[in-house]
Amino acid sequence: MSAVAQILSRPDLPDRADRDAPNILKTLLAIQSEVGHVPPASVPEIAAALGVTDAEVAGVLSFYPDLRTSAPGRHVVRVCQGESCVANHCGRVLKEFEKKLGVSLGETTRDGRFTLEKVYCAGNCAAAPTVMIGEDVHGRVTPEKVGTLLKDCR
Amino acid sequence: MTRRLYIPQDTTARAVGADRLARAWEKERGVEIVRTSSRGAFYLEPLVETDGPQGRIGWPNVTAQGLPKILRGEGGTPISDIPFLAKQTRAIFANAGVTRPLSLEDYKTHGGFAGLEAALRLAPEKIVEELSISKLRGRGGAAFPVGRKWQTALETHADQKYVVANADEGDAGTYCDRMVMEGEPFRLIEGMLIAAYAIGATKGYIYCRYEYPAAAAMLEAAIGILTAAGYMGPKAAVPFDVEVFVGAGSYVCGEETALLQSLEGKRGMVQPKPPYPAVSGLYGKPTLVSNVLTFATVPAILARGAAWHASLGTEHSKGTIALQIGGRVKQPGLAEVPFGLSLEEAIEQFGGGMATGARFKAVQVGGPLGSLFTKAGLKTRICYDEFARAGAILGHGGIVVFDQETDMLALARHFMAFTADESCGACTPCRVGSVRAREVLDGFVQGRGRPGDLDLLADLGETMKQTSLCALGQRAPYPVLTAIEHFRKEFR
Ligand SMILES: Cc1cc2nc3c(=O)[nH]c(=O)nc-3n(C[C@H](O)[C@H](O)[C@H](O)COP(=O)(O)O)c2cc1C
Ligand code: SF4
Ligand code: FES
Repeated sequence: MSAVAQILSRPDLPDRADRDAPNILKTLLAIQSEVGHVPPASVPEIAAALGVTDAEVAGVLSFYPDLRTSAPGRHVVRVCQGESCVANHCGRVLKEFEKKLGVSLGETTRDGRFTLEKVYCAGNCAAAPTVMIGEDVHGRVTPEKVGTLLKDCR
Repeated sequence: MTRRLYIPQDTTARAVGADRLARAWEKERGVEIVRTSSRGAFYLEPLVETDGPQGRIGWPNVTAQGLPKILRGEGGTPISDIPFLAKQTRAIFANAGVTRPLSLEDYKTHGGFAGLEAALRLAPEKIVEELSISKLRGRGGAAFPVGRKWQTALETHADQKYVVANADEGDAGTYCDRMVMEGEPFRLIEGMLIAAYAIGATKGYIYCRYEYPAAAAMLEAAIGILTAAGYMGPKAAVPFDVEVFVGAGSYVCGEETALLQSLEGKRGMVQPKPPYPAVSGLYGKPTLVSNVLTFATVPAILARGAAWHASLGTEHSKGTIALQIGGRVKQPGLAEVPFGLSLEEAIEQFGGGMATGARFKAVQVGGPLGSLFTKAGLKTRICYDEFARAGAILGHGGIVVFDQETDMLALARHFMAFTADESCGACTPCRVGSVRAREVLDGFVQGRGRPGDLDLLADLGETMKQTSLCALGQRAPYPVLTAIEHFRKEFR
């Protein structure tokens, strides 16, 4: 059984307990948290398991920026572009990441180690500029610290 | 003798090294490490505290090598002597930096559940009346009177009602909801329990943004603890369950009708109002949607009385506001103060003025949809009516200060690109207008701005303001148009 099928067969999903309809977003997030992304090819399978149309699943999948349709690199580096970080010139930090990794925003390094993305605020605005690596939040990041941050990623 | 060291567990404290300290020192003999919430004086983090004869002593910006000094008691400052904190009126954040987030014992010895107990002695109608007298207005942005919303939810009869905490905290530059959820999750849930009792709801959700994994984990743990202790669940005094629902990075999902769509698992499309969620919300049932900070304020109002709350602030803005001061100031952090101080006072007294080497250029208040102010606007007092008169918003209390190196054209383009990215697409003025406005700004950035383009932006902005369905489209022109108004020379 595929990983997606396994998740879909879990009793807590598609989560019909006290609801009129299955929860598509919650299902997609559950798949992403285990598989790392939601493969577009699995849309029909998800739709069938939830008893909704393919279009409904695809619609939800395309609406949310944090839902991924392809596997990210081993480390997802998200440079904050929220206003507090912009005020603290986060653009310079982003440039340094692009230079060190040799990729632009939204891309993954060829060795599959890093994906570089943006985030609109991690709630760490009082210690801007902010960089999230996976779930770890790093504050007061300067271009000089970028190298060390990357080196610390195994 | 063991020395107790208090180290904050908050995301920002950890982002600047608090975990490293805790890890480095946990095996030291004679040291006991206690992880607390953060005071919100983030410019001092990592701030390590010890017990002194007259309260806590703090050591700011500590590194792992700082331990011997702390143990010798050298160089610490009594927390009560730190002006940034001493000048605040802490009510909702009274326990910030003091208690352990998941200690029910700490919570109770610091006033926890006094509000719920007071509420349970009152009839639901009386609770709603208290909230009306308190003049509390929603803290999520729209500033709607809380008593009126609860009244509607109470009066609407249904077999099922819901209480939903809006923990999407989408405004960049704000983090007070995060601080509540990570620092004192019981307070949010206590507020939701009071709401559930008052309107007759049995099921609740906390819609937490994807970017806050630590907050979501803390809430899950707090719910487990409260359920085990009998405060929640079907057999509790208020039979009520709460589920944490994690969103997926859409700004517009902070808008209440889009949030409810998202909670149902659908695309986060804004819905026309009426019907209001308090009448017909989640799955068509009456649903009370409020911001985290709004819920977190409710226990204090019931415990201390509506008159206490109504005694703070200005005529139409009662209580305290959690200002989150950031950008290029010397002292970024959380300042909880009664409404009514001026923007300048907030930036000087709490922000500590500009950071070293930075000169003031502009300040944005109220998140990505907020207006920009220049020096001339700094006398504006922080309260709903003065901001409304200035065509501005307080939003969720974010204040971001920009310095002389900020390129206003690039900033304006950034704002409009954000709107174009985040527009839900339910209405044309926002969906099409934001893309068109971004194109025009791109033209300026690429040096092909034409005469008449600024008028075009003004026209587009006017249409978006007048005809958009929700505040995203209605407010998106403001940061751009105020940037043009104040820095016209940069738009060429
Ligand atoms: C585009 C948009 C984004 C919003 N984002 C949030 C948010 O992140 N958090 C929030 O509490 N309210 C947000 N709101 C306001 C909500 O629609 C709603 O007014 C609020 O949750 C009600 O709670 P309150 O009365 O306690 O403020 C947003 C509104 C709009 C139009
Ligand atoms: S204004 Fe924008 S975000 Fe709001 S409903 Fe219209 S398209 Fe959606
Ligand atoms: S604006 Fe970057 S963390 Fe909030």
